[in-house]
Amino acid sequence: MDKIVQTILDYAAKLVAEGVVGESDMLSMRSEINFMYITKAGVKLADLTENDIFKTTIFKVDEEYKVHAEIYKEREDINAICQCYPKWVTPVAKAGVTIPAVLDDMAQIVGPTCKTSADDVASIIKTLKGRNSCLVKDKGCITSGRTMDEAYTCVLVLDKASHCFVASSVIGANKVINGLEARLMRFIYKTKYSKKNQENLSAKEEGEQIKEETSVKEEGEV
Amino acid sequence: MAWDKETELRLRQVIKDSGVALLAENLVQGTWGNTAARLDEDHMLVTPTGLDYIALTPEDMPVVQISDPSVWNDGKKPTSERKIHAAIMQARPEINATIHSHPIFCSILASARIELPVMNDEMQRLVGGACRVGAYGLPGTKKLKKGTVEAMQGRNACFMANHGVFCAGKDMDEAFEIIRIMEKSSYQYIQECTLKATGSQTYSDELLFDYFVADKTAKKKKA
Repeated sequence: MDKIVQTILDYAAKLVAEGVVGESDMLSMRSEINFMYITKAGVKLADLTENDIFKTTIFKVDEEYKVHAEIYKEREDINAICQCYPKWVTPVAKAGVTIPAVLDDMAQIVGPTCKTSADDVASIIKTLKGRNSCLVKDKGCITSGRTMDEAYTCVLVLDKASHCFVASSVIGANKVINGLEARLMRFIYKTKYSKKNQENLSAKEEGEQIKEETSVKEEGEV
Repeated sequence: MAWDKETELRLRQVIKDSGVALLAENLVQGTWGNTAARLDEDHMLVTPTGLDYIALTPEDMPVVQISDPSVWNDGKKPTSERKIHAAIMQARPEINATIHSHPIFCSILASARIELPVMNDEMQRLVGGACRVGAYGLPGTKKLKKGTVEAMQGRNACFMANHGVFCAGKDMDEAFEIIRIMEKSSYQYIQECTLKATGSQTYSDELLFDYFVADKTAKKKKA
């Protein structure tokens, strides 16, 4: 089995185990510069098999795969995308509001805020500018990363941040992290991650075995 | 070193088991938490930074100096939160085990920066009173450490603003009892606050969803 297909299957299973999926979730990974592997639309991640993952060019795809293809076209820094419908993200996407920096790990891993985009490809691309994640109005969220582990971690952190935002809003006491401090945390996280990523790339060139998941978790600890 | 090898081996296993138990009991969400166990008055074992609790071995746990947490040996690189564990161990000689984690209901109150009143007898017995919220500080800063130590005065747990919860016990079993009751009591309080806000009789997650969506939609229209 192709390594990318196996990675998609592994992370689909992790998302299902964490309970952060809905009915129409889709995962994809860039394979070469203009190609991606993507899960078939309409297949639940819980039922996913290797036969439900196919390779396609990013230049000619059916409508349901277009948002993934367009993100890869626009963003060379992105190699993996999770399009998910986590339980607690859903009400925020329905309300169409922006999640402020409610938790440190959100500010670091997702970003100082997470906006809701209109449900069309152009708006999603625009909302993702300078960011790796956004919510999609009346749907769920799109998270992305240089690795699938980065995109996956974003889904978990975003669902937790959404839960905190929804509950603290209802109980009337939403206190958010100062914007400057939230941006500083994001900057430090990204800088540290880039450094770690660079170290991994160098190590790979030397033929060492690298477990990228471990390095992401190390930076993800807060 | 003022501890014997047998004690160290036992505590290494305690730390290893504590990480696995945090995962098994769903007391870690999103990102990793960390735990510490005192070896003597100036040394503690802690979990390494960001590694999978399942894959960790007891030998991976580093020994950290409490009076100067930048000093450590044995095991793997210690958690970046070790300064807070050390500060609590230093300020509170009766504390021998600490847990810092991000379970969901504690995280909600931490993000709301709400003091949790005593919700039940068990919370009073284990936490020692209402659970305060430490002043917000960026991770790894003196401000965060100071805020946590202050909020822990006379208590065995506190919230860390917009971050998570910190719990301390005479041993790891007690620290676990504390984090469990904190999560349970936080959930109980969130339910009470939700019923009060919505005027409903019965709590459900859908109640939160519907109220949130209606409230935000109304505010957007008004704006």
